[in-house]
Amino acid sequence: MHIRNFSIIAHIDHGKSTLADRLLQITHAVSDREARAQLLDSMDLERERGITIKASAVTVYHEYKGERYELNFIDTPGHVDFHYEVSRALTACDGAILVVDSTQGVQAQTVANAYLAVDNSLELLPVLNKTDLPGSMPDDVAMEIEQVLGLPAEDCMRCSAKTGEGILELLDALCVRFPPPRDSVINETRCLIFDAIYDDYRGIIVFIRVFDGTLRVGDRMRMMSSGRTWNVTELGRYTPKATKVGELNTGEVGYLIASIKTLDDVRIGDTVTLDAHPAAEALPGYQEPLRMVFCEFYPSSSGEKGAEFETLREAIHKLHLNDASFTFEPHHSEALGFGFRCGFLGMLHMQIVQERLEREGGVDVVQTPPTVPYEILLRDDKVLLINNPADLPDMSHVAEIREPIVRIEIICPNESIGDVMKLCDSRRGMYKSQKFLSDTRQILDYEVPLAEIIYDFYDKLKSITRGYGTMDWELIGYRSDRLVKLQILVNGQTVEALSVICHRDTAEQRGRRLLIKLRRQIERHQFEIPLQAAIGGKVIARETIKAVRKNVTAKCYGGDVTRKRKLLEKQKEGKKRMKMVGNVQISQEAFMTVLESGEE
Amino acid sequence: MSSGAGRIRLIFGQPSSLASDPRTSGLSVRPGQPTMMPMDHKLPIQQAKSDGTIASVLLKVEPAPSVSSLYLHIPFCFHKCHYCDFYSLANTNHEDFVGFVARMGQELEAAGRYLSRPLDTLYIGGGTPTLLGPDLWRSLIRHIHSHVHLAPDTEWTVEANPETVTPDLMAVLAAGGVNRVSIGCQTFSPTHLKTLERWHEPSSVVAAVESARDAGIENISLDLIYAIPGQTLGQWEDDLSQALALHPQHLSCYALTFEPGTPLAVKLSRGLIDTADADLEADMFTLTRRLLIDSGFCAYEVSNFARAGRESRHNLAYWLNMDWMACGPSASGHVAGIRWKNRASLSEYLHTSTPWPTITDLEMPQPARALAERLMMGLRLARGLPYESLLADAEAIGARVSFVAALGPLIDAEHVIVDQHKHLCLTEQGLLLADSVFRQLMSAVFDPNC
Ligand SMILES: Nc1nc2c(ncn2[C@@H]2O[C@H](COP(=O)(O)OP(=O)(O)OP(=O)(O)O)[C@@H](O)[C@H]2O)c(=O)[nH]1
Ligand code: SF4
Ligand SMILES: [Mg+2]
Repeated sequence: MHIRNFSIIAHIDHGKSTLADRLLQITHAVSDREARAQLLDSMDLERERGITIKASAVTVYHEYKGERYELNFIDTPGHVDFHYEVSRALTACDGAILVVDSTQGVQAQTVANAYLAVDNSLELLPVLNKTDLPGSMPDDVAMEIEQVLGLPAEDCMRCSAKTGEGILELLDALCVRFPPPRDSVINETRCLIFDAIYDDYRGIIVFIRVFDGTLRVGDRMRMMSSGRTWNVTELGRYTPKATKVGELNTGEVGYLIASIKTLDDVRIGDTVTLDAHPAAEALPGYQEPLRMVFCEFYPSSSGEKGAEFETLREAIHKLHLNDASFTFEPHHSEALGFGFRCGFLGMLHMQIVQERLEREGGVDVVQTPPTVPYEILLRDDKVLLINNPADLPDMSHVAEIREPIVRIEIICPNESIGDVMKLCDSRRGMYKSQKFLSDTRQILDYEVPLAEIIYDFYDKLKSITRGYGTMDWELIGYRSDRLVKLQILVNGQTVEALSVICHRDTAEQRGRRLLIKLRRQIERHQFEIPLQAAIGGKVIARETIKAVRKNVTAKCYGGDVTRKRKLLEKQKEGKKRMKMVGNVQISQEAFMTVLESGEE
Repeated sequence: MSSGAGRIRLIFGQPSSLASDPRTSGLSVRPGQPTMMPMDHKLPIQQAKSDGTIASVLLKVEPAPSVSSLYLHIPFCFHKCHYCDFYSLANTNHEDFVGFVARMGQELEAAGRYLSRPLDTLYIGGGTPTLLGPDLWRSLIRHIHSHVHLAPDTEWTVEANPETVTPDLMAVLAAGGVNRVSIGCQTFSPTHLKTLERWHEPSSVVAAVESARDAGIENISLDLIYAIPGQTLGQWEDDLSQALALHPQHLSCYALTFEPGTPLAVKLSRGLIDTADADLEADMFTLTRRLLIDSGFCAYEVSNFARAGRESRHNLAYWLNMDWMACGPSASGHVAGIRWKNRASLSEYLHTSTPWPTITDLEMPQPARALAERLMMGLRLARGLPYESLLADAEAIGARVSFVAALGPLIDAEHVIVDQHKHLCLTEQGLLLADSVFRQLMSAVFDPNC
């Protein structure tokens, strides 16, 4: 039997999951009756949002020229936040299908993911998808691929993942063009862990690719990084139903179950070997994903105190079993009480975690505005990494504040280049290069502080390019700038969650704008609420929220008693997603106002 | 006063006139203050099963209640005003009216069982009761006289819309025993009447008041609405002066509310109109009180103003959490701690096989709820509620400590006071923020542990 291990990679929405569906269907892994759209997207949230969040690995069989092929493939997410999912999937593969929507052409994540595959020395097989659509321009797109990625235009396959046209040809082609897995290079067994999930019923399921030797049910396995050992109780493949096997051999991909209790015991990129005959050296590792966006989650003020925090704690722990790529630690803030400070791969990742906490954990969460990490150079030459403006030491000890800088690559139509450059410049961007992708589109390179793009940059880009602009980013390092901490005081109390680190030149203007927005966002209370913005203890702007003067039901007669009573009871529970700061109620929206750095 | 036997005696033995008080803002004769813990009824708490009407529930109350206030709901209007969330139908005809009056006769006959004493107050509201016209009114009055006992001093109010008031009709009402009319005038500005989609000429209010007086009905109340989108403080002051020029005995001045589901609320949500500025609304509220008090009215409730001795006794029964029977679709009753609401459906009302209408929102007696309601209703009155009896009620449900704890900050903030009559009252400032005061006190009653 021949084996081919590959991933399906693409820009978001170019049709990876749909293509995966067709592969399953045409190889009869699922019957036509069972087939449903984006079958591998099993999370509710994935189905609702129509995006893939987690990569998933399946095995199908295909016959080509009378020979049987075992095809192990991994559907990956397209969104930039889930880059790490793609890169770890790639470590288990020898080839990658690069799907390009033939109505959209090469986009930012097409380029980024293609380079990722090349870096992993994978064979790339470009496929022009959605040829059934009237706007399909396969020839032009093939030229773009040649121009940008250097893959010959005539090597591009064409298909419609929707109608199934060209899929059989694609299956044949990948049998020919993808290399077989390499043979064992040592005698001992080595398997690479490329993913792990927590299943409510079956516990931890670890996804592995066997690079050397064989792994059998009953083997005593050892994690090479920690040295800890477990008995292998089950091995199998997803076809896409879990199908048990007795052993996994060199080159094969599958799952293992070994009564491992928590995901913390499983490090993605680790090597599994046999306890009895351990390998001397682990397989080349895999880089931990970087958390670049941080925020705090607090239980909303409604309901009983204490119990809410416990519910949040449980929900976070449970979710972490399923998604080990976010970090969390308990946090106490003077203004907001007990909560968690969490780190995420990006903004979408943060939103998804928050949504899953509320949905799966049943907690009502107030989220503080996200911030990026900062490197602080102290006067004594020590370097401190902080992920919370509140942790900034006294400025008399600080020599430099360094912020994360990312290289962004934007693909957009020629006519919006001017506006996109203006946008980048307004975000302290540094121009790097400009290349033509085709007659009508260009690739722009900029270096921009991450803090300037995490919130509304992408939306702005989308709107000025009328939806045609796409973007990818990558951390290139930390750079110092004239940064200051802008503090916000509500009713005389500093609210660290509303503090931002920003550039000195724009800090005052930003502080003023922020207060005006806050004034509109915080509801009137029974007392006057002063709002202040301060830099280094000096107040640079103030606003006042006037007190409520009247709050009394006008009409209340015999027929109104029950309804009015229930109304008052409901209001007493407090609004959802509210946080008390001292005696002031601040809504989720109000917290988020500090993010709108942008131009009015 | 013990909260036990007192209750029944107090309600029924209560002086029927709540005479006036020298204080501008209050009432003098404080009828014995009923504690609202129903103690001497054997109450069918929880176990009562309803056959879908209130009859079977009331049957189990011992001794059989005898109620001295009655509300009748007439669910017809000529046209639906845009702010209105009362149950009233506009697309009805004379036949419906005839059927309705006959049907109400049956209901009154059945309800008569609980109306064995002369009524203290009778209130006929709507809708637009005056839409029925003289003939139907004659037969409604006949039904009333055959099934309920009226006394010479029964306060009998009928709600009237100015455009439906005629000298004939007023004569019929007066002859039947009606001694108070409440006229919906809302505003004298044609522009603002249009915003409310209220179909009457401002001048018809003047005529309606005259017709009532000519028929001998002296006790006249006017309803006004302020904080209408686009209304200025000056315009509101003008409305008030025009109303005062008609020399009413009583005025109800309501800030416009956007009740969910009304056309006005829909317009608001679509951004077609805007609510009045919050500060302007507060100014209008304050102006109203000042102006009417200066004109010799007492501001006896949040939105209600009366000449000495002319407070609405019927509405006082609501605010004092007393008992009343209710007839007609959508009407709500409160007897022996039980609350219910008749279903808001004319067609169902006309076709039920029993004389009792089917009900919704049945609530059985519950002491904590009763106290919460007592606070929420009673503190709307300038005279407030007797502090000691509130404490006793709180004590009875184990909420005394939390109630007193909740009062502390409210007293400190000068939102409430205990006055020289030992009544807990809202202050002028507390009145403006009454809902949040109620909320705090009610939550102390409902969750004594927090
Ligand atoms: N007409 C047409 N539509 C397609 C085709 N392939 C995919 N689509 C549609 O394109 C949209 C995106 O498809 P997905 O398969 O979810 O894309 P994806 O690349 O997996 O997206 P992410 O996982 O979010 O990165 C869906 O609405 C599909 O139905 C095709 O060949 N023809
Ligand atoms: S007249 Fe009164 S009951 Fe009738 S629609 Fe207007 S506000 Fe409503
Ligand atoms: Mg997908």
